[in-house]
Amino acid sequence: MCSIAGILFKNGKRPNLGMTTGEALTEMMDACRHRGPDSAGWALYKEPKEGRLRLRFFVNRGAGQSEDIARIREGLARHGAEIVEDEAIGCTYGVVVKYSGHVQQFSYAVERVGHLVSVGSSLDIIKDVGQPYGLQKLYDIGRFDGSHGIGHTRLATETGVHPETAHPFWATGFADVATVHNGQITNYWIMRRRLERRGMEFRTENDTELIAVYLACKMSQGVLMEDALRSSLDDLDGTFSYLVATKDSIGYAKDKLAAKPMVKYEDDDMIALASEEVALNRLFPGRALDTTEPPPLTCGLWSRQSTALTGFHPETAGVSSDVAGWTLSKEKASRGREARW
Amino acid sequence: MVTIDLAQTPVRKLNETLRGFGATHQNAEIINPDAKHYIGVGLISPILVRIRGSAGYYCGGLCDGPHFQVDKNVSWGVGDNLLRGSIVVGGNASAIAGVGMRGGEIVVKGNIGSRAGQVMKKGTLCCAGNANFMAGYMMYGGRVIIVGNSGERVGEDMMGGEIYVGGNVDSLGNDAVLADPSSTEIESVMTFLDRYDLPFRGAFKKIVCSGKTLRYATAEPRLRKLPFYSFSSGAGQDYWNVKVQEDIRVKAQIGRYRIRGYGASRHLPHFSDIAFKKDIAGAGKDPEVISKINLRTFIGDNHGGRPLDLSMPVMIAPMSFGALSAQMKIALGIASRLSGISENSGEGGMLSAERAEARQMIAQCLAGRLGWNVHDMKRADCVEIYISQGAKPGLGGQLMAEKLTKEIAAVRGIPAGMDLRSPSRHPDILGGDDLIMKVEEFREATGWRVPISIKLGAGRIRDDIKIALKDGIDFIELDGMQGGTGAAGSEVAEYVGIPTISGLQEALDGLEEIECAGRMPIVLMGGIKDGVDAAKAIALGATAVAFGSTMLIAAGCITCMQCSVGSCVIGAATQDPEHTKRFDIEKRAIQIHRFLEAVRWQLAAIVSEHGYADVRQMSRKDLVALTPEAAALTRLPYDPGYRR
Repeated sequence: MCSIAGILFKNGKRPNLGMTTGEALTEMMDACRHRGPDSAGWALYKEPKEGRLRLRFFVNRGAGQSEDIARIREGLARHGAEIVEDEAIGCTYGVVVKYSGHVQQFSYAVERVGHLVSVGSSLDIIKDVGQPYGLQKLYDIGRFDGSHGIGHTRLATETGVHPETAHPFWATGFADVATVHNGQITNYWIMRRRLERRGMEFRTENDTELIAVYLACKMSQGVLMEDALRSSLDDLDGTFSYLVATKDSIGYAKDKLAAKPMVKYEDDDMIALASEEVALNRLFPGRALDTTEPPPLTCGLWSRQSTALTGFHPETAGVSSDVAGWTLSKEKASRGREARW
Repeated sequence: MVTIDLAQTPVRKLNETLRGFGATHQNAEIINPDAKHYIGVGLISPILVRIRGSAGYYCGGLCDGPHFQVDKNVSWGVGDNLLRGSIVVGGNASAIAGVGMRGGEIVVKGNIGSRAGQVMKKGTLCCAGNANFMAGYMMYGGRVIIVGNSGERVGEDMMGGEIYVGGNVDSLGNDAVLADPSSTEIESVMTFLDRYDLPFRGAFKKIVCSGKTLRYATAEPRLRKLPFYSFSSGAGQDYWNVKVQEDIRVKAQIGRYRIRGYGASRHLPHFSDIAFKKDIAGAGKDPEVISKINLRTFIGDNHGGRPLDLSMPVMIAPMSFGALSAQMKIALGIASRLSGISENSGEGGMLSAERAEARQMIAQCLAGRLGWNVHDMKRADCVEIYISQGAKPGLGGQLMAEKLTKEIAAVRGIPAGMDLRSPSRHPDILGGDDLIMKVEEFREATGWRVPISIKLGAGRIRDDIKIALKDGIDFIELDGMQGGTGAAGSEVAEYVGIPTISGLQEALDGLEEIECAGRMPIVLMGGIKDGVDAAKAIALGATAVAFGSTMLIAAGCITCMQCSVGSCVIGAATQDPEHTKRFDIEKRAIQIHRFLEAVRWQLAAIVSEHGYADVRQMSRKDLVALTPEAAALTRLPYDPGYRR
């Protein structure tokens, strides 16, 4: 029940939009704020540094914040991470640490000393209760001018309005993977138990976290992101338009009913995806854009290193969906075709 | 032609300006539209509006007469519910283009998104490119022309109208078949394409409804007349009682679920399980009590609309013209005026005579958009979006062929003589975010003048009321499972939903959870039978109550529960002139009015007996629960000592 936005500049190109990447995301989110007045968030991909990890935690505002931070600092030190930079801003505490061990085990362990928002060499998730413009100012989002990022505004339906229920969601345990999502995954518990049996951990009961963990888990098994996106069309039930971002790409998937809107704009230099065209027009005021609306049951992936577009139509491409031994495909596909509104 | 710059002008101001232009036949050009939503919504004059760029959601929605030209793309719901006029889109159209259109012409030069023409009834929707899946979904009439490929499942569950496809028919939807087009039909299609300069060489394929699922195969046999109380499972009634026997016999004949009227009839915790702490035996001794108690209630001004002004916290519940006869609807209109409360159109359009009689009228918008149109919105005092009802939450309305007469079909804009099963889900409200957009469209169409409410069946109400609050709804009508209906599957009416008192408590708790107690007025309905129930509901936290079945019984209903059959002996729930002629509108209206005045007296007497001067002084503190069940549902103190 929300709006999503994503932007990626290709091949190091940077068309002049008259605004930074952070501002561009904020503009797109603000154009769709009517779809989600409760909270907003950004997944920003900053320049990675060798041997460094970015971590962001939720901490108490005001009273109790210094205790939270002290506990986090102590915990990081205990797990062999040396703090290089840190900042406490809003309801978050961000650090850059020297760390070269196993990220998944490290982040599961660090979770015990503080509420982790994101971990990655470049990923930084900032999310809070409020509206895009106000939060942009508070968290200095406009300063970010990297190659890509995704954003979200949320209308809470089933869970409360807190910073931790805002999107984007980090793929708990997997560096640099983040998702935003508009819709509802109806086979959440089936999928979650399946992933938990493989050792995955979850920090919330939000279905968007599940999408992130699902995709990251597949990638950790050696599945390409594009294949993971494609298999998600079969494995996830419900209504969804979601975006996923990694260190150097953004992708989308859209359910078989196309119940949730999403429009894309693409040229040689960039790709932008948003819930509504009005958001894309914020990047190009006064211009009638050549946009397209991705059809139902499709996914796509764009990398910042290549202009090549990968778009999938599983039905026409005849691609099998039982990638990496995830059995479902045929029975599920035929059921899908019978599904009714 | 006057130019308006949308970079400088808010859409709300633009639409006000366009309405002014419409009155003086002035055409307009809009620059810098930047895909903004609701451009031209609610315009009812035949002016030309040029949009130099892309438009957003509901471009030209709820219009009658204007001509729109859009240079580039449009988002969801272009030409929503168009009555007359035209919309030409130079680029692509997103999902549900021409949703619920009832006339006029929509032409998209590029491609159209999924579910184009959903629940459309009349007019022509034309796409020069390719369509996406389920074009013509649940269409009742009119014509869809797709010059390119049809997309998957074209004509899914269509009930009338025709779809012409110039390219490939990718796959046919449920109940859709290919048919041979006549030369006149092809000629008419070609003339249409010529008129819009759309070249086409090739042969059109025609798709229509096969008609296999329009009617139930076997009609339901008439029930024996069983009194309502035989339906209720009291002691000793649990197993092979007359109701259960009848159920089994009927199903043995028809091989499907049964349909009946009314709501849950089995015993459920209700207001009779709640009592006032104070002994009110002495209430009503004062003949002047009504003049001493403030019952007047304003409802619906949370967002600047003109509120409904009720002489007491009571409304008449939504019941459709179709389920009810015109005579019964008019009687309700008269009674509502005489008692100074509001009447509600229910599904299927507003009856002019009823509108004229009622001083305050709520126009209800349902998923099938049956009878829905901008003119009824404009002459309504409140617009209500129906999401679900207590008797059958999550399901659409049912109107059997016997009651879907030519007249009713004409008002609803659909073919007569089918077993109408209305859609359960709005084409354009698939979640809380879509609901926001629909509410805004309605506000634009009515010039932000009237309240907008939603009707919710009690189900997941704790979450739903939060969404309603965030989506800018002015008040909710909350319907518990005892709420009646003109037709529902028997098991659904009996077992689906949650009891009225539980629904109210869940709703109040939901508001409390987000620290918004008191910010969303709740009009409670579902088995409320008198002023005593009303006083308890208000004490528990409702702002007002609404009477449905109670109104029918006041007008002479014999509770035979066969509302769906269409041969209502008192002429209230039938369209058969043989029966409706027995219905004396004036006499019945006076009966309903007298009942409502009895409610007023009861309310005033109870409030007065508590020592209050205003009905709003009643509170939970005045109540106790007489049963453990009612106590558990409402968290009122359990005290069987108050049972007499």
